Amino acid sequence: MAMNKPMLITRPHYDVVTNYLCSWSESIITLASEKGRDVYDLKGDKAERVRFQSYCKAKMPALLFLNGHGNADVITGHNDEPLVDGSDHFGNSVVYARSCECAKRLGVKLVENGLRTFIGYTRKFIFGYLTTKITRPREDMLAALFLESSNLIVSTLLKGHTAQEADARGKEAMYRNFRKMIASTASYEERYAARWTWGNIKSQVILGSPNGRV
Amino acid sequence: MTDKSRSIDDIIVDPELKGQFKQLVLERVGVMPDTLQIAVGAANFTKQELTQHVRQEDEIGKQVMEMELEFLQDLASGAVYGNE
Repeated sequence: MAMNKPMLITRPHYDVVTNYLCSWSESIITLASEKGRDVYDLKGDKAERVRFQSYCKAKMPALLFLNGHGNADVITGHNDEPLVDGSDHFGNSVVYARSCECAKRLGVKLVENGLRTFIGYTRKFIFGYLTTKITRPREDMLAALFLESSNLIVSTLLKGHTAQEADARGKEAMYRNFRKMIASTASYEERYAARWTWGNIKSQVILGSPNGRV
Repeated sequence: MTDKSRSIDDIIVDPELKGQFKQLVLERVGVMPDTLQIAVGAANFTKQELTQHVRQEDEIGKQVMEMELEFLQDLASGAVYGNE
């Protein structure tokens, strides 16, 4: 199988939130491999800055899928170590960051530094989860309503679509879930958590070129 | 947030109105199912913790208030039904 246009994914897992993000990223790695991509998976304590920079320099990933905590200025890796900041250069890549407030300033700086496209959130990325599923995040169908639809952004990119299409499909999926969650057939938990889905839809933005593809 | 660059303090300037809205948010958080938790940024919260943050009007509490305000406004305007 021809290997091309590598994907680099960061997915620390050291608390409940990062465990969920890490677990729900698994299917993306499988898809990327099926699509013949080289996948560089900085999972758990491998999500640290030196390693991350080394992979970026050596492998020049076309797609960076960043999961983790963060704020308007940094995205962090293992144990909150800053992984990406405004001084980084990712060239012609496309970045999707499932991290809080990353599009507020960080995404803008990265695009100014030459990054082709950045998809992220202007506010905190929020998701709900069930207390009964904390140790088995993949079985949490409430969290799925938030995390599967955001995964769709990356899977759309991996299928060769533009960043604009990926952004739109992610939002459409979130909106479909939102409607499902406010329907009378939804569980009480789903109905309550619907407002958080709405917040994510409104804060997801695309910066740089909408035509970026990987 | 109704305006992404503004906090709840700027959106609702009238202290009395803000107090009433805070009470509404506390009521809404109060009916959050115990089986549900929320991940907001780097932290996760139970209903009780969320209630505390709103009471204290700290950064998380303000964000919850802003989120509720935006959702209620979009619900009232019909915007939540407009993406079909």
